[in-house]
Amino acid sequence: MQNSSPAISPVAITAYSTVNACGVGNQALLQALKNNQSFLTPLTLFEVNFSTVVGEIKQELAKIRPELAAYQSRNAQVALTALNYETDGLKAAIEVAKKRYGTNRIGVIIGTSTSGLYETESAYGYLLEHGDMPDDFNFVTRHAYQATGRFLQLELGLTGPCFAISTACSSGAKAIAAGQRLIANGVCDAVLVGGVDTLCRLTLRGFSSLELVSPNPCTPMDKNRTGISIGEAAGLLLLEKMTEENQTCPRLLAMGESSDAHHMSHPHPEGLGAVLAMQHALNAAGITANQVDYLNLHATATKINDAVESRAVYSVFANKVPCSGTKGITGHTLGAAGALETIIALMTLEQQFIPATTGLAEVDEDCCCQVVAKPLFNQNIQIAMSNSFGFGGNNASIVVAKSS
Amino acid sequence: MNPIFIKSAIICCPDSELLKPFGLESIEVDKNLIPAAMRRRTSLTTRMAITAATQACIKAQVDPSILPSVFASLGGEIQVTDALCRLLPNPDELLSPTQFHNSVHNTTSGYWGILNHCQAPSTAIAAVDDGFAMGLLEAWSQLQQSPGDILLVCYDEEWPQYLAAPIGKVALACALVLSTDDNVKISSCSVPQIAASAQPLDAEWCELVKAAPAAAAIPLLQALKKQRSGLIPLNIHPAVWHTQLQV
Repeated sequence: MQNSSPAISPVAITAYSTVNACGVGNQALLQALKNNQSFLTPLTLFEVNFSTVVGEIKQELAKIRPELAAYQSRNAQVALTALNYETDGLKAAIEVAKKRYGTNRIGVIIGTSTSGLYETESAYGYLLEHGDMPDDFNFVTRHAYQATGRFLQLELGLTGPCFAISTACSSGAKAIAAGQRLIANGVCDAVLVGGVDTLCRLTLRGFSSLELVSPNPCTPMDKNRTGISIGEAAGLLLLEKMTEENQTCPRLLAMGESSDAHHMSHPHPEGLGAVLAMQHALNAAGITANQVDYLNLHATATKINDAVESRAVYSVFANKVPCSGTKGITGHTLGAAGALETIIALMTLEQQFIPATTGLAEVDEDCCCQVVAKPLFNQNIQIAMSNSFGFGGNNASIVVAKSS
Repeated sequence: MNPIFIKSAIICCPDSELLKPFGLESIEVDKNLIPAAMRRRTSLTTRMAITAATQACIKAQVDPSILPSVFASLGGEIQVTDALCRLLPNPDELLSPTQFHNSVHNTTSGYWGILNHCQAPSTAIAAVDDGFAMGLLEAWSQLQQSPGDILLVCYDEEWPQYLAAPIGKVALACALVLSTDDNVKISSCSVPQIAASAQPLDAEWCELVKAAPAAAAIPLLQALKKQRSGLIPLNIHPAVWHTQLQV
């Protein structure tokens, strides 16, 4: 197969930061990946009547300033914590971008599946008792899907396009793609993109009703896997048009997207939608399958999802690309997963290693792609892919590359 | 920047009287568009959005099985979410698995794909008052990368008024088929941009948008109907996004 020219101009990823169960900042996640260490622990944020472990953020979260108190939610706080973490330099990079491009040339596109629903759930307790919502309830600024994105826009004083993407577990990945398009099309010079999702009762109990929640830390691709562990995270990335100054930064090459057109919560049995997303991503990036050095799987650890994904990966890559699923470390962070795992893919480029499929003891014979069980160091990773698949049969595959 | 062409535009508002002052006609929700087995699982919001989308495809003569789509809504499946949230205070209450997967924001997008056997990309966005403007921007942006046709559907159903009154007082969906294809002489619109309004925004329109976010599309649909070029507002709160319509 010949390389074709890319269908979209690459953009630079000039800064990124994450907050997740491993802790605050990129270094905490990187250490967990290198140590193959799970951060899944019993749920403490609220009570549920079934046994589970989650990827819960235990660190103190940044406080929303009084002027933006209307936007107060755990979701916004997790996003702010990532934004403010100085070591990762995300906020500083945005300040530089503001001076360079102007605030109206910088967009904000954030993916989320439940936004500030956690606060709304508590408000419903009050509603059922008193017949009306509590005084501090504000649906639009706390619960609505774009609330966290709008909060970040106001916090940073940005005035470009701002919206949320909410396509369940592919939200964060799709937000990154939409940001790349706005830059490629000349609408923006930089876009703050990513995904933010926080633990809430509806998600935990909903997945439990689907009988998909594991009582133990999830074990993606394992023969004895018993379902997902849910997590929470913010993954934020600053995309910028390519310039002289950012030529040493990693690049977002392209995203492939597709729909299963099969079922709201079951994947297509042959993984046709997943295959299409990966193929579109390769085509849009102008690369061939054999140029991909690492694939971060969606790998939620449900019986059917992992089997279908591995079949889809096999049909695109055979068993030639090393793959791992990292939800055994962070949990499935839903609308944030696409962004968090894009950050993991970036770490593999920068650190030249392949993370393990944490929790994996014995690869399921149904899982036919090349699953990496232990971290592999001293690798040569130039291009990495990350898969995200969501309810509604919504699929996204992202391709990132080392600076050349 | 390249404009995009508007192949069709449809409004579906169960309370069609509300559109009369704007000189626009609504189509009725057609529940028969969705097979009975699927219909039982879908909300009014999905049926309304799918009605508008189907008619927009028919009018534009495009094949929905290969059409990428952008769905924009402030609350999405808010009635489903509301029903689930009412169960949550009781820790022993079991949630319906179907209701749970139907509570995601991309539920309508998912059913639209299943209904039309469409594997093209589909996205679901939200942007409070800017939903139509950002939906149009995202559709424009996708068309620049992947020339052809795209479906844009903006919709919100009736909401419980304790959530965010007056949002959700009126259910309304609008659907447009947009295209890079200018083979036939049709109207075009520019990439949405923030601009100072040439004239004050219509007060009656602003009131309706506060109750039905998707009504933000009305000035564009009015200008299309009257075949009047101009700078069209796409939302009601500053900063106001506009598109330049050329008929």
